[in-house]
Amino acid sequence: MTHSAKLIHVRFVLGTVVVIVSILLLTFSAAAQSKTAHKPRSPRAVKSPAPVRAVNAEEMQALLKRDGKRPLLVNYWATWCDPCRDEFPDLVKIDRDYRAKGLDFIAITLDDLVDIKTAVPKFLLAMNAKMPVYLLNVADPEPAINMVDRDWSGALPATFLYDNNGKVVYKHFGRVNPGELRAAIEKQVGKSQ
Amino acid sequence: MKKIAAVSLMVTMLTVALLVNARPLVSDISAPPIIGSTIADFTLADPSGAAHTLASLHGKNGTVLIFIATQCPVSNGYNERMEKLAQDFKARGINVVGINSNSTESAADVKDHAAKNNLTFPILKDNGNKVADMLGATRTPEAYFLDAGNKLLYHGRVDNSRDVTQVNSSELRDALEATLAGKPVPKATANAFGCSIKRGAE
Repeated sequence: MTHSAKLIHVRFVLGTVVVIVSILLLTFSAAAQSKTAHKPRSPRAVKSPAPVRAVNAEEMQALLKRDGKRPLLVNYWATWCDPCRDEFPDLVKIDRDYRAKGLDFIAITLDDLVDIKTAVPKFLLAMNAKMPVYLLNVADPEPAINMVDRDWSGALPATFLYDNNGKVVYKHFGRVNPGELRAAIEKQVGKSQ
Repeated sequence: MKKIAAVSLMVTMLTVALLVNARPLVSDISAPPIIGSTIADFTLADPSGAAHTLASLHGKNGTVLIFIATQCPVSNGYNERMEKLAQDFKARGINVVGINSNSTESAADVKDHAAKNNLTFPILKDNGNKVADMLGATRTPEAYFLDAGNKLLYHGRVDNSRDVTQVNSSELRDALEATLAGKPVPKATANAFGCSIKRGAE
């Protein structure tokens, strides 16, 4: 092997090692994140989240209204829903990254009313969640589901992004892809400010 | 040789990383068949591996297909109601068939779950969620009622509440009763909150 060929060989091997190590780190950190997702982030998680308010379908509809100023992200979830719990850290990060840039974000839980002061705030505290959270309390869920979106079966989680005029510009059923959601948000924030 | 080994290791790692991160979008799932359309026959295996066709399981007056889960608390909230529905209508010629399409729940899980919860109706394992895709099913529990000719008469929830004490409308049961009485189904679709079906590559 010539000197330059050796050098290329060494650089190639080094590059390969770096790629493999990065992939391993990424995979393990993702796995670690999803495993620790349900535990409190001590010691930074100190402040209690704002109280969760129960709303009926009409009150929920009012929450979705826009006045031309800020886009709105809405996530429907429940503590009993595994993919909801799994994606929540991503949503908390999105809230942190975009609220100051003009995004409103509300989370609407479909937990039982009996959990409004227990399981729900406990989870939100563990997530260090700061967005306003409401609990939809309805005897029949269908009118609320249909009001939100005709294509939605009620499967959780479900995520909707409204522009500043209240038009749905992005929706996703099932666990969100954070990159895709961020790209959709980027298009909306700061539009009319 | 080392180079080849390193490259193949890298390719393997990348493939694994890509597969791990691949998350099928529910929005890619086709819409459910419209009410009144005929559902094509399909073949799925039960947890013991025996294959069944829709034709071999259907009742003389109709069939209820319910997408269920072993781990979803909403689906589990309906175990007793689904079993009772199966018992109530078997003698009247309507068979209940459960389908588990969750890639995260194995055939062994399905078998254990059925035994523990005294579910006596057949439950099929939908590997690769092909029947869920065919029917546009997205959550558990989600029901489809087909008449004797496999025409779709009702699609949606079992009833309005996973809490049995809060039930005040039972659309699925109403659809079965109406059909057996020779009347049109009063409400052909109804939604409720439920767990997403966990789709996988296979």
